[in-house]
Amino acid sequence: MGRQVAIASAGFSEHASKRSDVSMPELVSEAIEDCLKNAPSVELGDIDAFVNGNMPAFEGSNIPELWMTDWMGARNKPLLRVTTGGTTGGSVAISGYYTVAAGLPGVDTVLAVAFEQQSQGDTSVGLASVAYGEISILNTLGIPYERISRLLSAGAAIGVAAYQATTYMNKTRISEEDLARVVVQNRRNAAKTWWAHLKMPNLTIEEVLDTPYVQYPLRYGMVCPASDGACVMLFTTEEKAKEMCDIPVYVNGVASVANESAVLGYDGSGSAQIDPSMQLGAIRSSELAYKQAGISFPRKEIDYAEVYAPFPNQQLLWTEKLGLFEEGTAPAMHEAGITDFNGELPVNCSGGVNSTNAIGASAMERPAEAALQIMGKASNQVPKTVHTSIGSGWGGSLNLITLMAMSDQPQRKWR
Amino acid sequence: MQKVGIVGYYQVKLYSDANYGRYEMIFEASRGALDKAGLKKKDISTVISCTNDYYDGRTISNCFTVEVGGGYMADESKVEMDGAHAVLYGLMRVLSGNHNLALVWGGSMASCYPYHSARLYETDPTWERPLAYVNDITSAGFQMRAYMEKYGVTVEDIAKVAVKNKKNAAKNPLALKEAQLPNLTVKDVLDSGIYSDPVTELMAAPPCDSVAALLLAPEKQALKITDRPVWIKGVGYSQEPYYLGDRDLSGCKSMNLAGKMAYAGAGIKDPSSEIDVAELFEACAHEELIFAEELGFAKKGKGAEINSAINGDLPINPSGGALGGHPPCGTGLIRIIEAVKQLTGEAGQYQVKGAKKAVASGQIGMCAQNNILYVLEAN
Repeated sequence: MGRQVAIASAGFSEHASKRSDVSMPELVSEAIEDCLKNAPSVELGDIDAFVNGNMPAFEGSNIPELWMTDWMGARNKPLLRVTTGGTTGGSVAISGYYTVAAGLPGVDTVLAVAFEQQSQGDTSVGLASVAYGEISILNTLGIPYERISRLLSAGAAIGVAAYQATTYMNKTRISEEDLARVVVQNRRNAAKTWWAHLKMPNLTIEEVLDTPYVQYPLRYGMVCPASDGACVMLFTTEEKAKEMCDIPVYVNGVASVANESAVLGYDGSGSAQIDPSMQLGAIRSSELAYKQAGISFPRKEIDYAEVYAPFPNQQLLWTEKLGLFEEGTAPAMHEAGITDFNGELPVNCSGGVNSTNAIGASAMERPAEAALQIMGKASNQVPKTVHTSIGSGWGGSLNLITLMAMSDQPQRKWR
Repeated sequence: MQKVGIVGYYQVKLYSDANYGRYEMIFEASRGALDKAGLKKKDISTVISCTNDYYDGRTISNCFTVEVGGGYMADESKVEMDGAHAVLYGLMRVLSGNHNLALVWGGSMASCYPYHSARLYETDPTWERPLAYVNDITSAGFQMRAYMEKYGVTVEDIAKVAVKNKKNAAKNPLALKEAQLPNLTVKDVLDSGIYSDPVTELMAAPPCDSVAALLLAPEKQALKITDRPVWIKGVGYSQEPYYLGDRDLSGCKSMNLAGKMAYAGAGIKDPSSEIDVAELFEACAHEELIFAEELGFAKKGKGAEINSAINGDLPINPSGGALGGHPPCGTGLIRIIEAVKQLTGEAGQYQVKGAKKAVASGQIGMCAQNNILYVLEAN
């Protein structure tokens, strides 16, 4: 059952805080054009099916694929919409993989499209209902609405992520300087990526630490921007991919696992009940994906990683939880330059989500960049040869992790 | 296509205002499906849910349904379309060989939100939404008018579909109480108040509360779990253009393409003789006729001539269809479950005798812009 799936191409739109020069469908078609440009033999008519997704509530459009049909070339084609919040892009990429892997009659080449035009809505308002958890439970506990913001994680995503940052800092005993170092690396990398949003080639640790707190320990200079942008990936079968590009990237393992939502715990008693830096979902996701891909020693076998880290502490956390470093050692590895562009295990050389965050697209940009690094076509291409790479996504209420493991060698496990 | 079996299912009864919490309903459905198959939570390898943030009224509403929907530490994802599309994703995951038991659930509580207002967010935000002239109700009116004008079909023909489905619903204990109308007449349907001319209130599917769930397993696994699995033999899905002016509303191109793809997978040459029963998601009564024609059960414009009663030549929607209750995000999934019940002989009062092959459909969008069709076969 099943068949080998390969990535033949990936494309991006230009990202900025306000892409007011384009509408949402135009933004998407920009990324589709870039994707097809990278695979010149493929035309829009060759696409057999589409998978789509964005963050549903941000632009105030429910299932925008309905009216964007013609802009994507999806007229009279099969189309599936998958959305999982912050991980939407990763989930769309994974469903692109499954659409090819399933081997439905007549469906070989699939275009996976993820996008977000955040300037059309208010992201933090949209996220407030996630950060507040189950409001009805609070009411039954006798907590009125006006006290919710004081009790719980005010500030939407950052409010929740701050809990995760402090618990992680407490475990690893790192300082804010360690966080700033990650930011500096990301933003400098972003300067070399054509589609990235916050390009800061000369950023220093001092400059980052000089910005005000949004929520301790996360400073204004440390958090991701809100971007407009789109990302597109082309999935197809092994045979077709060989015709479409020089170096097909084989998708050998995928997973998306959630544990309980970290905001309120089971009974509304607050974030303190669950350690948000524990991330059982991430550990399980990596177990599943590595098992499928036949990766036994992730630290040794993985050459490049793109992890979904809007906040610097998460970049450290995910590299540990996804098995790239031992627990608690990521900050030291980072300081030693192992995760640098020139390092032994480069991480987020696109600048990561920390530099560019078009939410619905972000989790797809990770596997897309990781695939381009294998193809040798990334805009900030690392000097070492990349054989195996991973791209992760993070979303939900701190609880869902998507992961895609890719390689330049197909996985010959198909029974 | 490899054989994938439906090995368990559960549907919460449809209510116009359910005395349930959202999570209670999801739990009852997913637990019910597992219990029916005699399985435990630990047996689930992947979970696909189907909800819509606009219907649930909160961003990423699915991140709070992980535990109740059986998704804790399982490989899970969400499809934001119809429940029938979620089944497709579950099917793909099983076909890939990565998973051997998929739980798919979908549904919502329409009593908690104004359904037709929420549907307005599906329209083009620049040109159509501000005026709100084109929405799911008015477009259904255009569709019915286009169909009637082109083929000379009368309003009575379409009202008869509503009468049949509401009468069928009266035999289905899980159908919406308000839609169970055993003594309904064509006149009642036509007098029930204009929804959007010529669609009247009783011709439109009533939004309601429910969640449904089903379990998918590959052939080997399915035969271990149950001796009466229902096999998914073919599936097809397609999306047509958005603008109503670009489409021929007297037909349904996307259902036609979905049907072709599904029939090709299942090896069906003559649908009207090979299919024993159909469960079609009709948002309005006339769509049942349009779909039946596109699926090859009758010639174009002759859908009303099919004898589609429970004991007829080709029974359509013996359960009452979406006119017997339409829980958004769950309706297509319930159509599949109803088709499964027919094939396993569990449909009780509305059982079609000797049903071996069935089709079930789901849809989203104005005038059924995106359709999905399954061909199911009894073991």
